[in-house]
Amino acid sequence: MRKRVVLAAGLLVLAAGCGSESPAAAPDEPVKIKFQSLAWQKESIAANKQLVEEWNKANPKIQVEYIQGSWDNVNDQLVTSFEAGDPPDVIHDDSPALSGFANRGYLLDLTDKVPAELKSDIPQAAWDTVTFGDGKGGQGVYGVPFLQESQVIIGNKKLLDKAGVRVPTPDSPWTWDEFAEISKKLTKGDSYGVAWPMKSPVNKVLNLGLNFGGTFFQTDAAGKTTVKVGAEEREVLQRIHDQLHKDKSADPSALGMGSADPLPGFYAGKYAMLPVGVYLRQQVVEQAPDGFEWITLPPLKGATAEQGAVSQTLSVATDSKYPEQSLKFISFFLNGPNQVKLAKGDWLLPTSVKAAGDPAMTTEENGWNVATASVKNLVVAPFLKVNGFDEWKSKVATPALQQYFANKITLDETAKKLVDEGNKVLERYNK
Amino acid sequence: MTLTADRPVRTAPPKKPRKGGRQGREALLLMLPALVPVLVFSVGPLLYGIFLAFTDARSGRNAVTSFVGLSNFGDLLSDGDFWASFRIGMIWAVSVTVLQFLASLGLALLLNQEMRFRGFARVLAMVPWAMPPVVIGLMWRLVYHPDAGILNSMLGTEIDWLNDFSIALPAVIVVGIWTGMPQTTVVLLAGLQGVPKELYEAVEVDGAGVWRRFWNITLPQLRPVIVAITSLDFVWNINQFGLVYVLTQGGPGGQTRLPMLFAYEEAFRYGFFGYAATLGVAIVIVVLAVLGVYLWRQMREAS
Repeated sequence: MRKRVVLAAGLLVLAAGCGSESPAAAPDEPVKIKFQSLAWQKESIAANKQLVEEWNKANPKIQVEYIQGSWDNVNDQLVTSFEAGDPPDVIHDDSPALSGFANRGYLLDLTDKVPAELKSDIPQAAWDTVTFGDGKGGQGVYGVPFLQESQVIIGNKKLLDKAGVRVPTPDSPWTWDEFAEISKKLTKGDSYGVAWPMKSPVNKVLNLGLNFGGTFFQTDAAGKTTVKVGAEEREVLQRIHDQLHKDKSADPSALGMGSADPLPGFYAGKYAMLPVGVYLRQQVVEQAPDGFEWITLPPLKGATAEQGAVSQTLSVATDSKYPEQSLKFISFFLNGPNQVKLAKGDWLLPTSVKAAGDPAMTTEENGWNVATASVKNLVVAPFLKVNGFDEWKSKVATPALQQYFANKITLDETAKKLVDEGNKVLERYNK
Repeated sequence: MTLTADRPVRTAPPKKPRKGGRQGREALLLMLPALVPVLVFSVGPLLYGIFLAFTDARSGRNAVTSFVGLSNFGDLLSDGDFWASFRIGMIWAVSVTVLQFLASLGLALLLNQEMRFRGFARVLAMVPWAMPPVVIGLMWRLVYHPDAGILNSMLGTEIDWLNDFSIALPAVIVVGIWTGMPQTTVVLLAGLQGVPKELYEAVEVDGAGVWRRFWNITLPQLRPVIVAITSLDFVWNINQFGLVYVLTQGGPGGQTRLPMLFAYEEAFRYGFFGYAATLGVAIVIVVLAVLGVYLWRQMREAS
């Protein structure tokens, strides 16, 4: 295998040498740009392909080739194609991934290149999620954010009505205390108030952590970033842990599940509530048995209702030969009406102000109004800007949090792991 | 005459090596077509990989690579994650190799018996060999699936085999054993067929039972084959990548992160090419050391 890795590296070098020599297209020949999309839900793939087709018909001079990527291996695939010097021109990814790529110089700084119309249609809070250091001391905008995810709660309406709990609204959401009480109330016999699917706990915990001001990272005056797990950070950790092991209102066997795995149990009434990303509504709509009534509940409130925002993004590769044309395509792809189509396809929230005002995004049907209202709670999560976050997440935080929620280690031990081992990881990137 | 007789005497000593040199050059010329691919695709990258191990090469357009000497090796020795991965790698390689050998020996003995449908059974035993590791991984992922998996429905359990901290590694080891059995079985079967029948006939005259025949004839006769296949299996297993990458990607929480997966992550996930190359070099050293000791002991016992 080592030989193979080395061989691959060797080939990459060869490929990098050859990549830059291909001649640019003649002036009257159509320009070809590659667009790698990570859409995976059926409706979303359809929406993506339809928009590309529309563009290709309207712009014979700039032809876009649709390439299907996958969230499962996008990071490794992009790293290799960046190193080979032959990345897709337009790259679909999400904001946590951009920091590392921007730092390594793979992505084009779009600061002064985004057309004014697109720029003003997307609020500054969303632009903040794609603003990173360029690895040389400067700052830049490395993508156009277009779909955002917030954490909401999906509830079984019949069970909630039966328990006679207050129905929260975006203006007056449940607090975490209320949520804990209600979860206890809904726990009866074999059924639990809530299920926390924690197969990938890190982003969820860090995004919710902001409810109590938990940032998990701090940067000192010299620009050195370290991990921080203080009182604010412990709040959400402790509260979820309490539900699992003290109140026993959350099903511990759901811990190993991915986001969509508890759905069958949810339909069967085994869990009354699921804290999930807004996109999961699509699966509920599609799979829930006839007559199953459900509602989307607004995000919980701690000290605030603020959540870390993760946005999906479109970026342009530094190695792209047609950056201008790529940006033109992005501006078309992400205009207001098109963002509505993409948001509907992925069941996520559009960043475009115009799109957010579209009736399709504010209808009460399938909880779109609650979901769209949660956009105002989204703020930039500090972890987005941390160089080395990905390694911290997979090497340190994921195992530590999984062990903590499984009650194998205490909160103090978890905090110590996150900080000590975490700082060691970050050290490599501070060099 | 004297001249002609003299000449060979004087020129013979320097001529011989020159002639040999010409022959060597010709041989080299003939070997060249075969050597070039080996040099370009095997030796070159290998040397490049070893060179990388002494640099801080990392991904990035603005990354500057510089020579750092042995500092990567120092980092490696103090890297807890590496040692955890190394430990998992050793558990994996040793247990897969040993269990694979035992299972294959049983299977080979069975297939060596006179029985009905022997040819068919032999073909059947080869099936896993025909499958690429990725397909095997996908297939077993379905077998282990917590809800839809055939294993849970057969046992009536609700275990998430590949995501449980303590079960994941054993579950992956079982797949590893299954995957490597055909190669080992074929080699052992060939070895069994090479054992002279006369030996069995001789001990049968002495009234030896099945167990004695196995212990005193089969095993000693198979010895060279066993040594060869177990050492090859060990190298294959410690370098296993595709299977585990598809099955668990090293999860849960790094419980199945074999050394090669660790190296892959370092290089292609986090972008530390130099460090990943160091890992590769370290594993080569370990494999050579383990094999050296093992083969040396086997040979000493054999002689």
